[in-house]
Amino acid sequence: MSALGETTVARGGPLRSLNALAKLAGPVPVMIALVLTRGVPLPLAFAVFAALVLLVGARLGLRWILVILLGVPAFAAVLGVSFGIWVDPATLPADAAGSELVLAQLGEWRFTGAMYLVGLATALRIAAIILLAFVSGLTTTGAELVRALVQQLRVPYRLGYTALAAMRFVPRFGHELEVIRAARRVRGVDRGRGPIAWLRGTVGLAVPLLASAIRHAERVALAMDARAFGAHDSRTERTISRWRRRDTVFVLGFWLVSALLWWAVETAVA
Amino acid sequence: MPDAPLLQLEGVRIRHEGAERATPDGVDLVVRPGEVVLLLGPSGCGKSTLALALNGLVPHSVPAELDGRVLVGGLDTREHRVGELSERVAMVFQDPDAQVVTNTLLDEVCFGPENLRLPVDEVLERAERALKLVGLWERRADDPARLSGGGRQRLAIAAALAMGSPVLVLDEPTANLDPAGIDEVYAVLRELASDRDHAIVLVEHNLDAAADLVDRVVVLDADGRLVADGPTREVLTGRAEELAALGVWLPVSTLAALRLREAGVAIEPLPITPAELGAALDAAPTLPAPRDPAPAPAAAGAPAVPPVVTAGGVSVRRGGRRGALVVHEVELEVPAGDFLAVVGVNGAGKSSLLQALAGVLAPAAGRIEAAGIDPATADAASRSRAIGYVFQNPEHQFVAGTVAGELEQALELQGVPASERAASVASMLERFGLAEAATRHPFLLSGGQKRRLSVGTALIAGAPLLVLDEPTFGQDRERAGELVALLRELNDAGTTVIAATHDLQLVADHASRVAVMAEGRLLGVGPTAEVLAGPLIEQAGLRHPPLARATRGLANHPEWRAVTRWAQLPAPGGRA
Repeated sequence: MSALGETTVARGGPLRSLNALAKLAGPVPVMIALVLTRGVPLPLAFAVFAALVLLVGARLGLRWILVILLGVPAFAAVLGVSFGIWVDPATLPADAAGSELVLAQLGEWRFTGAMYLVGLATALRIAAIILLAFVSGLTTTGAELVRALVQQLRVPYRLGYTALAAMRFVPRFGHELEVIRAARRVRGVDRGRGPIAWLRGTVGLAVPLLASAIRHAERVALAMDARAFGAHDSRTERTISRWRRRDTVFVLGFWLVSALLWWAVETAVA
Repeated sequence: MPDAPLLQLEGVRIRHEGAERATPDGVDLVVRPGEVVLLLGPSGCGKSTLALALNGLVPHSVPAELDGRVLVGGLDTREHRVGELSERVAMVFQDPDAQVVTNTLLDEVCFGPENLRLPVDEVLERAERALKLVGLWERRADDPARLSGGGRQRLAIAAALAMGSPVLVLDEPTANLDPAGIDEVYAVLRELASDRDHAIVLVEHNLDAAADLVDRVVVLDADGRLVADGPTREVLTGRAEELAALGVWLPVSTLAALRLREAGVAIEPLPITPAELGAALDAAPTLPAPRDPAPAPAAAGAPAVPPVVTAGGVSVRRGGRRGALVVHEVELEVPAGDFLAVVGVNGAGKSSLLQALAGVLAPAAGRIEAAGIDPATADAASRSRAIGYVFQNPEHQFVAGTVAGELEQALELQGVPASERAASVASMLERFGLAEAATRHPFLLSGGQKRRLSVGTALIAGAPLLVLDEPTFGQDRERAGELVALLRELNDAGTTVIAATHDLQLVADHASRVAVMAEGRLLGVGPTAEVLAGPLIEQAGLRHPPLARATRGLANHPEWRAVTRWAQLPAPGGRA
């Protein structure tokens, strides 16, 4: 979210002052566990949990509060339909909840409540994972993450800071792509439909974009070399990334609350 | 006082991987503390390659073979790595975008000293000093992307200064900038040069900006051999004819004085800046009357010729429906056969207006008729029959795998049967000097060939109107001159040309009319001579071309004050 610029979506709040790695270490195991779940209640509970952590822990603008409270739920509801219509009713048990409820009908094909619930479970898992990713994504800058990776995890600085420099290419290529698209429209080569025309068009875009990307990367590399990047085994860190007690507390607390929540939901459903 | 040399080159020859000959070829050079050296030469002579050898990028980072020795503060560059040498030689490159690696100005300037493992206090101290010197300290928390091109290049200079090295090498630092940016960068360089704390090696085409701040000029010939090395005035004026013959671009003021000498006006010594030329002209007791070659036809007969482009109330947005308005209510008529230059600083809306006129962008408001069609709604085939559009970077518009294929594609779009395409393609290749390159991939052409091909593809469908977006941007004077000659030829043959450009001397010499833009508005349109004589150029934040700057303030020869074009100077060989 915030790889560019030294600002984050969050304008402040306790999450801003945590180490970037703490904000990853807390949610990531939960995100992985959620991938393996089924059903609606667990992802729903964790989506609500992540939203609460964000709303309490980060000072967000109105736009992002609306994204979290309305945007993500609406996204999950719609995505649930898209996933649901692909569910094969034959694979569902006959007594599955909602199988009597017909939401839509097209000839012989029926979209039942049971199908929607299966789709919704998948959509909610995605929504919960997105919200958990927001916990660090909306409150961490790219530079903070790289500093934490280099200073705490001992990732080689050449890798970390090169990745950061490469992030600056993104808006440039976006602009370049726009120009190339316009140029191809002028030349009349954007005609044709279907996968083959699409493939040809994409390859046609890729050649000039790659040529320019490689040239740009070479120039940036020369400029970095000329400023002694990579000359020594370490470099001065002007900003020290610290792992404080509150980071440990946050990670352990996040895990503990998550485990309790998981257990509570599982027992309530059973 | 014989200071120890900071740079010492002995018989330096550099051959790029895959190149047949070495350029530069056998260069000896010594640079001492405080010297400001200008490195000149025709394109392809290897001056940028030589610059890269000064901090070890050649041979360490660039695949090239280095013969001879380069000593940096006594260290042989072959035996020491670039990182080590960077404390002795700092470098600023041509492209301001390709030098920024961090997210704030302060981080950017700290980046180098941090790599040198300096203590935090010293990193910050150096960063502050460097940013203050280039006038960017107040903006230290900003993202570099928010600076103008000139601002980013000043930032690159600050980042180089923070390395704390006694030598600063700048490789065409203003080639990608607009006139305002060039002035900004030269203001900083002038200050650095007068401080004498650094030795400066400057590779630059734009001699009009550089000539008065360097004390020594080194010239390479087309083969990369050293042909001149001496004090600026001695080299630029004493050997002016010789350098001009080599294909080195001298300051416009020097060239103009040479032309006047040939016409029998004694100008001694030769001037190198417009101010000096002005003073020399005023000092001359008599001057031949300036020639007034028939102004370009469109200027004389503008009202009589029917317009080929009519734009009424045109506004353009960037970035979609809700994007910012970048062109505001432009009214413009372009008569058939015109050569219209659109000038203005970066961000003035030149490109957006041109793209709307050519149908690349749909205008947010207003109506446009160009060569008989509405460019926003016409289909690609009929649009390319009416309007040829050339993008700033020719590579962006190449779509085929061969040069001939590029031209064929344009005919295919018109529905020309395959059997009839070959003849047109062959004649177009011939006309643009590309016959030998017909089967090559367009990306493998030289810069000048790419440019010619892009103009060829724009015109092969028979468009009577050619629109070009900054066709000379980032090119050296030689390439720019070639392209302008081509446009001149096309215009003489009847093609209407509309071009956005920063090069006001080029405008003065070739355009029949000029449209001046600032902040998205059209300040005015008129015949070139009138616009260059009036206040619009300054209102738009531009500077007059060098010849006009020399003649505008003449006290003793009022009839010369309107001389802005090369063609107005007396003909060589006698009093015209």
